[in-house]
Amino acid sequence: MPGAPVDELRNVPLFAGLDDDELAGVAVLFKERHFAAGETVVKEGADGAAFFLIVSGEATVAVRGAGRASLGPGDHFGEIALIDEDVRSATITATTDLVCYGLTLWEFRPLVVENGEIGWKLMQSLARKLRSAEIS
Amino acid sequence: MSELVALEEATDTSVFGSKAVGLGEALRNGLRVPPGFALAGPLVEAVASSEDAAIEQVVATIGPLGGPLAVRSSAVDEDGSDASFAGQHLTLLNVPSAAELAGSLREIWWSANSDSAITYRKRVGLFTRPSVAVVVQRLLDPESAGVMFTCNPITGADERMIEAAWGLGEAVVAGLVIPDSFRVARDGQVLERRAGLKRIAVRSLPTGGTVEADVLPELVERLCLDDSQLEKLNELALRCEEVYGRDRDIEWAVADGTVYLLQCRAVTRVGTTA
Repeated sequence: MPGAPVDELRNVPLFAGLDDDELAGVAVLFKERHFAAGETVVKEGADGAAFFLIVSGEATVAVRGAGRASLGPGDHFGEIALIDEDVRSATITATTDLVCYGLTLWEFRPLVVENGEIGWKLMQSLARKLRSAEIS
Repeated sequence: MSELVALEEATDTSVFGSKAVGLGEALRNGLRVPPGFALAGPLVEAVASSEDAAIEQVVATIGPLGGPLAVRSSAVDEDGSDASFAGQHLTLLNVPSAAELAGSLREIWWSANSDSAITYRKRVGLFTRPSVAVVVQRLLDPESAGVMFTCNPITGADERMIEAAWGLGEAVVAGLVIPDSFRVARDGQVLERRAGLKRIAVRSLPTGGTVEADVLPELVERLCLDDSQLEKLNELALRCEEVYGRDRDIEWAVADGTVYLLQCRAVTRVGTTA
């Protein structure tokens, strides 16, 4: 079955404002990706063009070599790279075999460019994130 | 145009990438190449997206080829060339059969969208959507394999420079061994034979994938090519020059006594003694 599980995507803040049809349109653009235990999933300082949602397995997050967090099913990372095309801010390493769904900039950008409603909701989501960061 | 063709029918680099078209040209000219298929970028992406129809097409068409299989990227960039992506995109050796191709094609598609590939694309000014065509071939179980320049790339001399090791050629390409090296004149005269230090050989595993296997001690420093095989390699060099032009960089393998062409590219830089 093509695409990421819609129910999992619903929990990603970036996609929180999308309705079921819009979410289904995003979900189908995701592709499954497997990482072996010990494999570097994304590397701090490297360019990246994909966002990932973990469906099984675990990974660790490190910034400048210091461990910051553990990730597991339902967790996601890399969504900002979809928009600002900047470098990765952390290194993520698979601690077990990891199954993710990934969405690349190449699929995401045309979807947003061609669908103003989705673009507007994504802007609202980012604005909420910005306001939340300013308050905290 | 079909997105999945037998290698000998791959003629358009903008669809199938230069690796596939180069091998197709070799087959059309009677060179011995392991049989296989060329897959266009959109089909590879459809399989990577888990589209059932695409997966069924790939399995049904490539299934009769049997196995094991070698699955290599044949990237298509703006110039229709994949040379600038050497090492960026994945090659998967010893995929057991067509039934396992979906996962392999997905891995290769992602290798072109990995962070390292994207970093590279940005650095060389090609931050555009990658199109990854793929070549699927029967994987040989070679006695020996390696690389050959049809001219001396350092001095520009008109002689074959051959590097060889036991097993699959990845031992030479990846620099895992000190390979045997040979210089052969255009008329076939062997000018130099130098034994390397080949402690390991890359071999196929029965369960899929490859392993770096220990080489028997008596073979580590024994030459892995005899004069008859060097003669066949020189014939391959001559034929490749007839088909593609001079100054070629060739990957080859010897299996069951037969010399096969695996890849033929232009030498990127040829030196001169002048």
